[in-house]
Amino acid sequence: MKLTVFNGSPRGRRSNTKILLEHFINGFMTTDGNTYELAYLIRVKDRDNFIKLFREAEQVLLAFPLYVDAMPAIVKTFIESLEPLCGREGNPDIGFIVQSGSPEAIHSRYVERYLEKLARRLGCRYKGTVIKGGVEGIRATPVWMNKKLFKSFYKLGKSFGETGKFDEQIVLNLAQPERYSKFALWSFRLSGKIFYWDKMLKKNNAFEKRFAKPYAK
Amino acid sequence: MKITILNGNPNADNVKFDNYLKNLSDLLESSQHTVTILQLREIDIRYCIGCWGCWVKTPGECIVKDGSRDICRECINSDFMLFASPVIMGFTSALLKKAQDKLIPLIHPYFEIVQNEVHHLSRYDKYPLMGLLLEKGKDADEEDIKIISDIYRRDAISFKTSFCFTRLTDDAVEEVANEINRI
Repeated sequence: MKLTVFNGSPRGRRSNTKILLEHFINGFMTTDGNTYELAYLIRVKDRDNFIKLFREAEQVLLAFPLYVDAMPAIVKTFIESLEPLCGREGNPDIGFIVQSGSPEAIHSRYVERYLEKLARRLGCRYKGTVIKGGVEGIRATPVWMNKKLFKSFYKLGKSFGETGKFDEQIVLNLAQPERYSKFALWSFRLSGKIFYWDKMLKKNNAFEKRFAKPYAK
Repeated sequence: MKITILNGNPNADNVKFDNYLKNLSDLLESSQHTVTILQLREIDIRYCIGCWGCWVKTPGECIVKDGSRDICRECINSDFMLFASPVIMGFTSALLKKAQDKLIPLIHPYFEIVQNEVHHLSRYDKYPLMGLLLEKGKDADEEDIKIISDIYRRDAISFKTSFCFTRLTDDAVEEVANEINRI
């Protein structure tokens, strides 16, 4: 199976999306004969090459972080460039990965509906959307802390490489929590999640200015 | 009210769309509103690259000195902001999305619980109300409009405000102006 992967993270090679994709691809490549190509949509000047890759693809995987409740603008730019290919005979199958900083899957469910419709609009067979919340920070945490997450993406890639489908159970597990329970929300409030930001604010000598309102009149 | 219209029409040849906004703006001004139309395609806006500089280096301001700073200033000091765009591939334009991605300096990195979900905290005391104006174009259907509207309703939660309406440029411009007048 030939897989064409588009990394839609505006952080490109320094993205959490890249890390998740690496594990997916490692799993995918365990099946003999499988091959893949990988393109970074942040290189917006490569637009013509992206269209060419899409035209020639058999299976497409488009992965991106949730930006303001939808796809990042670079991903929308890419999608717009595919307009001439809508309904073309021989368009590839397409699946998506949406990861978010927000911990619950619910945030990504709205763009999921868009992606399902996008597949129909293009005339691509829709392989589904993998949603994973709480991903911001994996770049900055030790590998052992993310071992389970990475293993899930490896397994997801492996089964995709074997069957051409996303494993439903893994997709379901990755999307947990869909929403937090009242109790989990209460503990989240107390869990010191602001520590992540404070650490960076202090490192940049910006902690005192963290509540700045530069545009207030 | 002070009203800011973000014109996400990427195509200068689509004069009809720009004219619609101009007519809307004139009508609103005749009702004593102050209206600013931001022609996004003429503003230098770099893509947000998720560097978090606006949250952890220069809090409240993008570290890139592009036109998005003026957009942020204009929006946060408005009472109402209208996102306007032709529907392209089932969503608002990449141009409008580029501007929206750069509005995040207006919110704070810390978290709070809103409607039993984890969201970011407010940075400012007050945020403009939101509306959406779409040009349906040739291939958009009701389902697309619903999907886009639902995503913009989520944006309203993210931007600490309320979503007022979705309107189409098929509607008479007076109707849209009246809808805004009723806010």
